[in-house]
Amino acid sequence: MQLGIFSVGDITPDPTTGRTPSEHERILAAVTIAKKAEEIGLDVFATGEHHNPPFHPSSPTTLLGFIAAQTSRIILSTATTLITTNDPVKIAEDYSVLQHLAEGRVDLMMGRGNTGPVYPWFGRDIRDGIPLAIENYALLRRLWREDVVNWEGKFRSPLQGFTLAPRPLDGVPPFVWHGSIRSPEIAEQAAYYGDGFFHNNIFWNLSHTRRMVNLYRQRFEHHGHGPADTAIVGLGGQFFMRRNSQDAINEFRPYFDVAPVYGYGPSLEEFAEQTPLTVGSPQQVLERTLSFTGEVGHYQRQLFLLDHAGLPLKTVLEQLDLLGEILPDLRAGFAEGRPAHVPAAPTHASLLAARPSGPASERPVVLDDVTGRSPESVPA
Amino acid sequence: MTHLVLVTAGTGTPSSSRLLGERLAQASVAALDSLRPGTTVTHLELRTLAVDLAQHSATRVPSDALQAAMTAMLSADGVIAVTPVYNGSYTGVFKLFFDALDTELMRGRPVLLGATGGTARHSFVIDHALVPLFFYLKAPVAPVGVYAATEDWGDTGRLDQRIQAAAAAFATLVSASSPSKVSAEFQAPNFEDLLRG
Repeated sequence: MQLGIFSVGDITPDPTTGRTPSEHERILAAVTIAKKAEEIGLDVFATGEHHNPPFHPSSPTTLLGFIAAQTSRIILSTATTLITTNDPVKIAEDYSVLQHLAEGRVDLMMGRGNTGPVYPWFGRDIRDGIPLAIENYALLRRLWREDVVNWEGKFRSPLQGFTLAPRPLDGVPPFVWHGSIRSPEIAEQAAYYGDGFFHNNIFWNLSHTRRMVNLYRQRFEHHGHGPADTAIVGLGGQFFMRRNSQDAINEFRPYFDVAPVYGYGPSLEEFAEQTPLTVGSPQQVLERTLSFTGEVGHYQRQLFLLDHAGLPLKTVLEQLDLLGEILPDLRAGFAEGRPAHVPAAPTHASLLAARPSGPASERPVVLDDVTGRSPESVPA
Repeated sequence: MTHLVLVTAGTGTPSSSRLLGERLAQASVAALDSLRPGTTVTHLELRTLAVDLAQHSATRVPSDALQAAMTAMLSADGVIAVTPVYNGSYTGVFKLFFDALDTELMRGRPVLLGATGGTARHSFVIDHALVPLFFYLKAPVAPVGVYAATEDWGDTGRLDQRIQAAAAAFATLVSASSPSKVSAEFQAPNFEDLLRG
């Protein structure tokens, strides 16, 4: 079971002080938070991608590359990479480079993006969101897997004789998750390819999340990737904890009440009841989180949203300290009753080990155009 | 087995919209039973969902009660929708409710429209305000709607005639329709079709 955090990258005033952090502060805070996540023993740090204020992460691989240089173990991921408005060729290039620099500690989560104007800013139309996600990802997969790609599609200029440089690390493409709250086409896409499916699990009740996950699990089996309970599932979630649960409620309420997206809506208590939000003691967060398995089955990745809504960096780091304290219990709880055939989330190491180990000549031979030699023939 | 959902947006207790809605529902059940016996009615009084609808419009998170109402709508063979007239149109809560539904939910789902108001001057509210909304939602609208002004409640004979005529037309429409009762949200499309674009 992988446990981690994901961040939207919002720049929101702290409602208790009225102070808005600068973009510079928030970008550096993301790095501090990612390093802290590794320090407390988390497995994954994922950043959002946005191309409009009040968000800062418009260049996720720059941020993740900088974090990769200062960490050694944590997996760097996205939540989400905009498969609709980014050029799939550029995604392939950027994440291949990141994968090399991070020694394979990279995966991606594909998403469409729901901000209408971003589409025309990148020459797209939001009404084509699903077709863009389907076509662009189909191309991205080929770029990472085929040596020479000849391709023609509806949205992007055709490619003739295109070879991605650099090739993915060890010839192993990064693992891909597909994030969607309510689009069956995306659950189907994840199932079709045997990729991971991630439900953000923040804005809706858990029974909705369960139905989307079940759809993906059934289709994963339908497409021949294995039994439904071996499909690769990730969930989001959010909490705010203090040792005393009333302290958590009192401290979080002013942030909750005016939070982007769900502020000015239901009360904190109603939202905590209707959605997976938990505001309370570490024990309550532990129990609520472990209850997700009862809804969606044994799954592979749990990411928490901690850094948002104007919470100060100091508070976010304190939340991570508390998460670190319950981490062993979370891991033990997730391991309990987990059938042996339920796989862990794929990593670079596991994908490398699972790679067909045919004769080397069956794999594409890549020649360095300076030395004329294949990487395989170069002594380490 | 036919399932009707009656949606009323009156705010008084009891409201004339509720009164008209119940009359339309009774008449529709009687008309449908003569075509195919066994009709049930679920009544959604939007006043009880007003806060849930406001919260949903701010957050898109449906409360349990609103989710139950949406589920009832999805199971409906026909919908009877009745609203009071506020400032020449349907009420805010009436619009919030139909805004909250999945975009495709009303497609192909027969609707009988009713409205109530203080004076006969609002008689065309069904034609100029409600019909455009339900056309947009791609719902087949029963050809007879009923508007009841306060004075109509003292003139039972003719109001009853209009209710009977509306229910008969609605029953014919419902019995000829088979709206989808499955949420598009949880239907797996064929991926090969998606790939072909």
